[in-house]
Amino acid sequence: MSSRKQVKGEYIETDTGNKVSRKANLIGTQHIMLGGKTVIMADAMVRGDLTRTVSAQGSSGGAAPQSNTSIFIGRYCFLSRGCCLRPPGRIYKGAFTYMPLRIGDHVFVGENSVVQAATIGSHVHIAANAVVGEFAIVKDYVRILEGTVVPANMVIPSFSVVAGQPGRVIGEVPEGGHEQFEMRDLYKTVGNNIPPPAPAAAAA
Amino acid sequence: MSSSTKRHSMMPRAGQLPKAPVNISSSVVIHDNAVLTGNHTINISSETVIHPRNKLDSSHGRITIGRRCIIHERVVIGAPSSDPTKGEFGVTLEDYVTVEVAAIIESGCTTIGEGCQIGVGVRIGRGAKLGKHCTITARSVIQPGEQLPDYTVLYSNGTRRTDKRGVTDLKNKAQARQIDVMRRLITTNINRFKE
Repeated sequence: MSSRKQVKGEYIETDTGNKVSRKANLIGTQHIMLGGKTVIMADAMVRGDLTRTVSAQGSSGGAAPQSNTSIFIGRYCFLSRGCCLRPPGRIYKGAFTYMPLRIGDHVFVGENSVVQAATIGSHVHIAANAVVGEFAIVKDYVRILEGTVVPANMVIPSFSVVAGQPGRVIGEVPEGGHEQFEMRDLYKTVGNNIPPPAPAAAAA
Repeated sequence: MSSSTKRHSMMPRAGQLPKAPVNISSSVVIHDNAVLTGNHTINISSETVIHPRNKLDSSHGRITIGRRCIIHERVVIGAPSSDPTKGEFGVTLEDYVTVEVAAIIESGCTTIGEGCQIGVGVRIGRGAKLGKHCTITARSVIQPGEQLPDYTVLYSNGTRRTDKRGVTDLKNKAQARQIDVMRRLITTNINRFKE
């Protein structure tokens, strides 16, 4: 039994199943879109305040309402302790602007990783201490190994395994290996009222 | 026992570390979540932007930050080093320096030259001297006392080259534009950090 008393529970659980730690650093929450069933652990940092400041359309389409969301996160994503998501920024049409960061479903971001990509597909596994550079595009079913430095603007094709400094494609996800990217089980292990992990072991 | 059921911690809260004596220009942008602590002076020159969750720790020496620097989140400037002897000053950042997420700059006569780009998660040892317009890529480590000549590009796998593009003026201009945007995006209340 844990002696730690938790008055309120460590996580805020939303109706759509998101579990957000109270100790997570979410800045500019009105610009962060969570798809549901996403876990954000303590000390994870999400910079929603760095929004786009130059409209995507030309000057003619200025009347269209501009959504200002800077970070989109899909379903069953898992942001570990100390990771940091921030939108990438660059000079666009003569002015500096941040661009939105889009993350698909079933994406795992490891501890102390920094993600500044433009797009991350679905079923992507980013291990601990990795750095994903600005405007990188990561397609689906990609595994980024520990300590990888993915350079800015790199495009990583689907089913790649990436490692090294700078990050290079070192292999492919093997046949049938895509099942390891499933995040539903990991989602169930986090939250306020988690059944004890190994009751069978305690009984034995 | 008091009737209050709330437990009070004996440790000072993170936001209540001793405030450092500061000397900040009024055009500086510092997010409220940044921490300026220590007992030596922290000087921050005009138009510098400091992102949230930064820690500027002057307890091991004076910190000077130049004009139009950008310090991204979770950077620690003035981190304690393994060598406890105090230097003449702590850390000096010249103008137009960019320090990216989670970099650590140790205290003890550490100098970062004008226009340097310090990448994500870099660690710079005490007494290191970086020349002008150096680029340090992500997760590199600079040993204590190391000196880099001007325009050095250091990669995290240890290789290095000299930047001969000659785009320093353009880079400084881009930095100024970036700061203009950040001034609009980051809420700041400088008086909080002053006495």
